Amino acid sequence: MYLEVSHLKKSYGEGGSYAEVLKGVSVSVEKGVMCVIQGTSGSGKSTLLNCIGGLDLMDSGSIKVDGKEIFGLSQEKLSDYRRENLGFIFQFYNLVPNLTVKENIQVCEYLSDHSMDIDELMETLGLTEHQNKFPSQLSGGQQQRCAIARALIKNPKLLLCDEPTGALDSKTSRDILVLLEEVNKKYGTTMLIVTHNNSIKNMVDQVIFLKDGQIKKNYRNETKVPASELEDL
Amino acid sequence: MQKILRKRIFRELKENLFRYIALGLMIIIGMFIVISLVAAAETIMTGTELASKEQAAEDGQFSLFAPLTDEEKQKLKDKGAAIEEHFYLDYIADNDTVLRAFKIRQNIDLLRADTGSLPLKDGEILLEKRYSEETGLAIGDVIQIGKHSFKICGIGTVPDYEAPYRNLSDPAIDSSQFGIAFFTESDYEMLKKEHNSIQSEEYVYAYQLNDGLTDKELKETLQDFTMSADDIEDVYFQEYWNRTGGKIEDFKEALKDLSDGAEELSDGLSQLESAMGGMQESGFFGNSLDDYAYGVSKTADGAEELADGISEFSDETETFIDDNLNVELSKLTQFLTAEDNMRIGAASDDVAINKSVGLFAGVLLIVLIAYVISVFVVHTIEKESGVIGTLYALGVKRKELLLHYLILPAAVTFIAGIIGTLTGYSSFGVRSEMQDCYLYFSLPNLEVVHKAYLFVYGIVMPPVVAAVTNFCVIRGKLKKPALALIRNEQKVTNAKNIRLKGGDFIRIFQIRQFLREKRTAFTVFFGMFFSLLICMLCMNCYVLCKHVKEETSADIKYKYMYTYKYPEEIVPQGGTEAYGVTLKKEVFGYNLDITLLGIEGDNPYFDAGVEKGQNRVLISSAVARKYRIGTGDELVLKDEENDKNYAFTVDGIVPYSASFFVFMDIESMRELMGENEDYYNIIFSDDALNIDSGRLYASVSKEEMEKSAAVFVDLMGPMITTLSVASALIFIVVMYLMLKVMIDRSASSISMMKIFGYRKKEIRRLYLNGQLLVVAVSALIGIPASKAMMNAAYPYMISNIAVGMNLSFEWWMYIGLFGAIIGLYLIVTPLLMRRINKILPAEILKNRE
Repeated sequence: MYLEVSHLKKSYGEGGSYAEVLKGVSVSVEKGVMCVIQGTSGSGKSTLLNCIGGLDLMDSGSIKVDGKEIFGLSQEKLSDYRRENLGFIFQFYNLVPNLTVKENIQVCEYLSDHSMDIDELMETLGLTEHQNKFPSQLSGGQQQRCAIARALIKNPKLLLCDEPTGALDSKTSRDILVLLEEVNKKYGTTMLIVTHNNSIKNMVDQVIFLKDGQIKKNYRNETKVPASELEDL
Repeated sequence: MQKILRKRIFRELKENLFRYIALGLMIIIGMFIVISLVAAAETIMTGTELASKEQAAEDGQFSLFAPLTDEEKQKLKDKGAAIEEHFYLDYIADNDTVLRAFKIRQNIDLLRADTGSLPLKDGEILLEKRYSEETGLAIGDVIQIGKHSFKICGIGTVPDYEAPYRNLSDPAIDSSQFGIAFFTESDYEMLKKEHNSIQSEEYVYAYQLNDGLTDKELKETLQDFTMSADDIEDVYFQEYWNRTGGKIEDFKEALKDLSDGAEELSDGLSQLESAMGGMQESGFFGNSLDDYAYGVSKTADGAEELADGISEFSDETETFIDDNLNVELSKLTQFLTAEDNMRIGAASDDVAINKSVGLFAGVLLIVLIAYVISVFVVHTIEKESGVIGTLYALGVKRKELLLHYLILPAAVTFIAGIIGTLTGYSSFGVRSEMQDCYLYFSLPNLEVVHKAYLFVYGIVMPPVVAAVTNFCVIRGKLKKPALALIRNEQKVTNAKNIRLKGGDFIRIFQIRQFLREKRTAFTVFFGMFFSLLICMLCMNCYVLCKHVKEETSADIKYKYMYTYKYPEEIVPQGGTEAYGVTLKKEVFGYNLDITLLGIEGDNPYFDAGVEKGQNRVLISSAVARKYRIGTGDELVLKDEENDKNYAFTVDGIVPYSASFFVFMDIESMRELMGENEDYYNIIFSDDALNIDSGRLYASVSKEEMEKSAAVFVDLMGPMITTLSVASALIFIVVMYLMLKVMIDRSASSISMMKIFGYRKKEIRRLYLNGQLLVVAVSALIGIPASKAMMNAAYPYMISNIAVGMNLSFEWWMYIGLFGAIIGLYLIVTPLLMRRINKILPAEILKNRE
């Protein structure tokens, strides 16, 4: 298994405002797999993703990525862990406003010594013609593509996507998902996609459904359809 | 990565060009002023030190009652003291100014001709530089002294008149009224013989110490040099001596007469007794003579005894006089080391404070600007919070981003620092700052001195301070976890969490806005305070000069003051006598002259009801302010010539700011100093008195003192104007930039308010009027605080200037300053409103992507 989560617990607040968000979650994902985490608001899906990404600290349990335990790592080590292993895509693109598309991608190119070829990646993501534009000159979909390129440039083993299509229209969402699918195929990147969109589960290899901080469903999707054929996005 | 991120720095710079140009200009102007000020100070300090060496500056000087004898000169030489006569005479030149005449020097305090040459032949004269500038006299001009004309052959300087004070107790230099001139030896002697000088010749010797001789040892040697009154040819001295110290000779004569008389009486009676014996033996007179002869015999015995007694008394008296009333006079009247001489090294002393204040102010200015920049950086970080969080999530480390955000402040301050330093160190910068000194002190032409530390200060200090300040401020901002940054979570502080009950919505909103923008408010206050400090420096300088001028005019009730060297027996008609002794008191390392002035209680010229008592004094307001002493305090004054200290209790303060006077009952003072009951040496009068100049040390009129006092106002005017404008500029730039950043930070909520339907006036009330309150409160705190701080620092800044410090402001000055601050705010407001008007309702959508 590439990713192994065991008995993960996470809570917020104290006293009256105490809330246990993850109640002993255990899950595993194989390498190169596209996996969707679904659930209603407050089910703990983003918290699970953030804990895997080392952005949030778990209370107890274990998270192993490529065999390495991240529980108990210092902030500095977690930063190294993210630098070496992860790519992140968020609902909001969070591009550096006064850097061009290419420069935004280059910011992360320097984080890895086995980074991808930037021109090839831009070509794959359809950004070549926009490479010298600033984020404010791009559409939402183009910005998200740039964010994906930025996440992928360092050739991460694990790509974590938090509502990657949350701020996009249906057509652009499909384009982005197609892209992710291509990237998965081309580079073999393991992907964890948090979404509330019910259709996306149809294009991935594995589906995890969370409810009230616990895994309600975890299954392999045997009837996978290409992203380009997804409906109701 | 830094290479890529660096690209955005130029874009950030371009996007906020006005902001960074304004800040850069502030640094350039600030560094220009600081570097030129300090470089000017260094040039003057180093240059005058070098000039002193080249011109063989004295180690000190002493004044004598009479010139040294050859034997005394040899004795000083043997001890290791090199001396040179710097005798002088004061004349009224044909332009009604006082010109002090010296012979040209050969060994000590050598002349340096900036232009022209030294007087090589009779009829030539070299003028001191400042005097020639003020009077417009130039090489080739002719100046008339008495009956003689002298052609100006050179303009120059000497180290012992770097500060050309006429008298060491003068509060200011006035080169338009007084200057020094150098003549050939024969011309000097010729002038001296004509007795046209306005005072007697001063026997001043300059000395240099060799062979380990110390000032103290030299002084002790000089104190042993005495003179007989007969050695002095001065007719005024002889007249004075004959009725004072010379009376002891009369006493001796009388004693001798008494002794001789007693002896004569004894001899006469002996003869009478002998004659009576013969008459008795003749038998012609019978027994009737026996009784009378017996009486004569007895009287003769008694007279002999009286003669013996008087002779014994005479011998004893002679012994007493020889032992205790030595008629040999000490020659030394004044001993002044170069260190204690106000005329020497004055420019260096004056600029030393510029150096330390300048360097400190420079750091303070850079801290202020660095903090202003940090507010922008913090604003940028908050705006880019999501980006930063994402970059963290992708593995970018905090120190990498911290470094990135430090580059812009460091780069801006570095570049501005370089420009400011180079322009400051240009000959224009340094020369313009030296101009103030050149317009007051008599300095040779100095080459600009380049100090490595100043380049380091001007080029390295700004980016380092900016980096450190920004590091401290933004480190906390970047310390947030990636998630908190992505979500743009705001830390809820206690201040922000304050529950505000009641009141109208606008007021509550303004308070909330203030709490949210307290960093901005603090920066506005800090900027205002810094500007106020500069402003207070100027205003204090202005009021000090103004008060010196006005109070000198108001406090001096006499028209003339004559200081005697040889007082007359009877006080001249129309004059009021006083007795003055110059003593010393140290303040902030400077040993300043204070005149202990004995006056009558009903003296018409001073509102000083002095009472009898040898330790009771009243002090002039100038002394009270300079030394910060008041009624009931103890005042200790030092008589350096005699190594004595006098301790007095201050009974009150007399409103007199023109001089450092300590008033005492004249009779008590005469007793204290061991003078006769009718002794005086100063005359105050309403009219000019006909006093022979040979009797005087100095004469000064009220008009001359008023002119001297006005020198300060003229001298400081340009500096006051420049710094006032600079302080207003700093304040306006800081206030504008800070309030603009506050508006930028509130752009979303302003946009929301517009969506809600708020009008311009209402938005102005919500976002700007609250800031008016911040500015007003900052002014109310900053004005008295900066005034108090500057009042505390000011005595150090002008510690070498012999004036009392009346730094009090009129009430309207405070109101005016407050009004000016509000006025500057109102100037900035339309610019800020323009920015608010530019915020569109769509802004909120843009910010939410």
